[in-house]
Amino acid sequence: MPAIHIEELTKEYAVGFWRPRPYRALDRLTLAIDSGEVFGFLGPNGAGKTTTLKLLMQLIFPTSGRAEILGRPIGDVATRRRIGYLPENPSFYDYLTAEELLTYFAQLLDVPARDRKRRVSDLLDTVGLGRERRFQLRKFSKGMIQRVGIAQALLNEPEVIFLDEPMSGLDPLGRRDVRALILDLRDQGRTVFFSSHILADAEALCSRVAVVAAGRLVATGRLNELAEFRIRGWELVVANLSPAALESLRPAATRAIEIGSGRYTIELPLSETPEQVLPAIAAAGASVVSLNPLRETLEDFFVQRIAEAGARTRGDAVAGGHAGR
Amino acid sequence: MIQGIAAGLCLVLAVSLQMMRDRVWPRETAAVEQLLYVRSPEAMKRLALGFDALAADVYWIRAIQHYGGERLKAGGAGKYELLHPLLDITTSLDPYFNIAYRFGAIFLSEKPPGGPGRPDQAVALLRKGIAAQPGNWQYYHDIAFVHYWSIGDAVAAADWFRRAAAQPGSPNWLLPVAAAMLTRGNDRASARFLWQQMLQSDQEWLRKNAERSLAQLDALDRIDGLNQLITAMGKPGGQPYSWEALVRAGRLRRIPLDPSGTPFEIDPVTGRARLSTASRLFPLPLSMGRE
Amino acid sequence: MRAVRYIAINVFRESVRDRVPYNLVLFAMLLIGASYLLGQLTAGQDVKIIKDLGLAAISVFGLFIAIFIGIGLVSKEVERRSIYALLAKPISRPQFIAGKYAGLTLTLLVNVAVMTAALYAVLAYMTWVTPAHIKAGWEAPGVDPVLLKATLLIFVELMIVTAVALFFSTFSSPILSAALTFALYVAGQFNTDLKNFDQVVESKAAVWLARGLYHLLPDLSAFDVKLQVVHGLPVPAGYLAATAGYGALYIAALLIAATLIFSRRDFK
Repeated sequence: MPAIHIEELTKEYAVGFWRPRPYRALDRLTLAIDSGEVFGFLGPNGAGKTTTLKLLMQLIFPTSGRAEILGRPIGDVATRRRIGYLPENPSFYDYLTAEELLTYFAQLLDVPARDRKRRVSDLLDTVGLGRERRFQLRKFSKGMIQRVGIAQALLNEPEVIFLDEPMSGLDPLGRRDVRALILDLRDQGRTVFFSSHILADAEALCSRVAVVAAGRLVATGRLNELAEFRIRGWELVVANLSPAALESLRPAATRAIEIGSGRYTIELPLSETPEQVLPAIAAAGASVVSLNPLRETLEDFFVQRIAEAGARTRGDAVAGGHAGR
Repeated sequence: MIQGIAAGLCLVLAVSLQMMRDRVWPRETAAVEQLLYVRSPEAMKRLALGFDALAADVYWIRAIQHYGGERLKAGGAGKYELLHPLLDITTSLDPYFNIAYRFGAIFLSEKPPGGPGRPDQAVALLRKGIAAQPGNWQYYHDIAFVHYWSIGDAVAAADWFRRAAAQPGSPNWLLPVAAAMLTRGNDRASARFLWQQMLQSDQEWLRKNAERSLAQLDALDRIDGLNQLITAMGKPGGQPYSWEALVRAGRLRRIPLDPSGTPFEIDPVTGRARLSTASRLFPLPLSMGRE
Repeated sequence: MRAVRYIAINVFRESVRDRVPYNLVLFAMLLIGASYLLGQLTAGQDVKIIKDLGLAAISVFGLFIAIFIGIGLVSKEVERRSIYALLAKPISRPQFIAGKYAGLTLTLLVNVAVMTAALYAVLAYMTWVTPAHIKAGWEAPGVDPVLLKATLLIFVELMIVTAVALFFSTFSSPILSAALTFALYVAGQFNTDLKNFDQVVESKAAVWLARGLYHLLPDLSAFDVKLQVVHGLPVPAGYLAATAGYGALYIAALLIAATLIFSRRDFK
């Protein structure tokens, strides 16, 4: 049974006052996420990622379609005991301290009284909030609030965790910590569903991804299936290459970059297989430092698919634009 | 759906409870009403914080409500105590509040039980209006009316009518009314004077009116003269009064005619001379105290 | 149900941390103290003035608390977007509304109680220092337990205003909610004028409309027994019960309506 099951989920808003026109923020999304997966929900801003998450949390109500979390329909209050949610750009109560906020939420999550204090304290340690935990939230920076947000999503040791842009507001150190945390959660057997427009994070963490643009699902699948596009070339790092040898290699290469004295990075197109070039290098007396295939990254894929989706949208003339979420 | 019904049900129950409570413990609104927290117009002006016109409207509504409420009280118990203060505040807040002056004056001068019977307050209110808008003929007219109707002083009324007629834009019937007032007040000389002035008018109907009124005044004079004559003669023993008797007695040369040429009549019983109903000048303007 | 309690406690905590009620209570206490000084200027009327002023202050400050915190109960959470994390917890939307209302009621209770206690303290002091022959002329005793009837009704009235503020807060912005709540409060004070419309107006349609409005709008003037209490006039227990009962039912209607609106709302 999938941990999260979404079927034809659609959200339409009426835009405009005098003659409201429907604006489709989400168009018939269908997805299934298995238990234990780290699932990346990717797309540019305004694609419908936050809309989807809010629909799953029943903060907004679907126009049509349905979804289930852990086998129960969304909106089932009891299920919310087993899940955690981090909203995008979270904001809490200024006048509470971090400790008080987490204790309050722990109360609402029915965490047993005897466990509350310890769990709050442990989580604050995990997200890296030390002395600050006793300060009121109004004094917190954006990054610190983000950490509190992550902590509150984990209070009830949830089976499924929903994170909306979990890395936003964090410095590289923070991002590395969150990545480690997510991998930890996966190792504990929990399901993580997170949305992002930063592809590097998806590449590092996800087993599967879905890409949405303009409210529509444009691709879904394993990362290596999607991103395993054509190898578009090779990257060869060579040392001890004499200028003469370099000149002989130039016609074959798309690019040659000098790294240091005698060291070069040479990019070869698909047509020039390494097997053809290596003998020449060996003959010139140079040595091979490394050889790697060049693949299309997720970024290139992204840009291409979004452009396709945009063209399709313009042709359909369904949506009113990328105005909202 | 069900929540909507539940909410509606609670409201209905609340209202039922409210109605039951009102029945068992009715709340006396009368005792609380006769309170005017701010009596001073100056203080009210400051309190109104620039919303003077709106505050004036509110006080005007209160004045009407107060007047109406007092009038409707059973047995004529209304005292109209707050009427003058309310009108005073209304007109202080908005000095151009025309109907507050005009209707207010009418309310104030009404005799009890229809009103407080205070024509003096009415005149004071209208004078306040004149102070704010010196050229407004309506206020003069209204003061004249109060004098005539409530105070009973027709000569003063005539004076105010004349002053109203002197204001710019005043209608042309004010002077005839002034003159009529003077006749009411038995001041025929002044009335004549006014009518003669109106003979110079370029409006034909005014000239005609003046001619007629002068003729009527003449008729009145003649009637007075005839009455004196008849009184001096005394009653012809046992006989009804008649012109013939007078002619025969040599007091009159012939049957007296009114200025339009129609013979006067004489009442056979009382001996009073009067205008014939067939006369063009009928009816004559009555004077105060005669009827 | 525990969720309701926790939310309520949090609302109370917010009102305390926001320091607004502290200031108001302090100010009310100062006002009551000042009224004591003013009372020195009038001939034997000081106890009446202090009761008048005290009850009026309790009413006014309670009103401010009810409106300004009441409108924030929902609107502020939605504007600040703190509601997202909250509603993702295992609480239903009706529980949310109930918890918020209970929290503000608790806040009001504490504030009204403190102000009433302060008023009684001032009255007790007055009774103590006033010579017996002047006290003999008082219409009602200085420390009069009957004052509690007035404060009880003031409290129920404030609970109604809170429910109105919460109701508007479920669908409109904070400023609009404040304006509407205040307007409804003013209308509720002049309710009796609507009831007596038939005495001053002839049109049957207008009378029916006025009557309808009288019943629909909250009948707040009925909760004002300050005049009677200060002059020692009786306030029957039945009247108290019926009026309080009316208040409870009206509040229930408002809360159910608020829940209805809130449960359908999209939080974009």
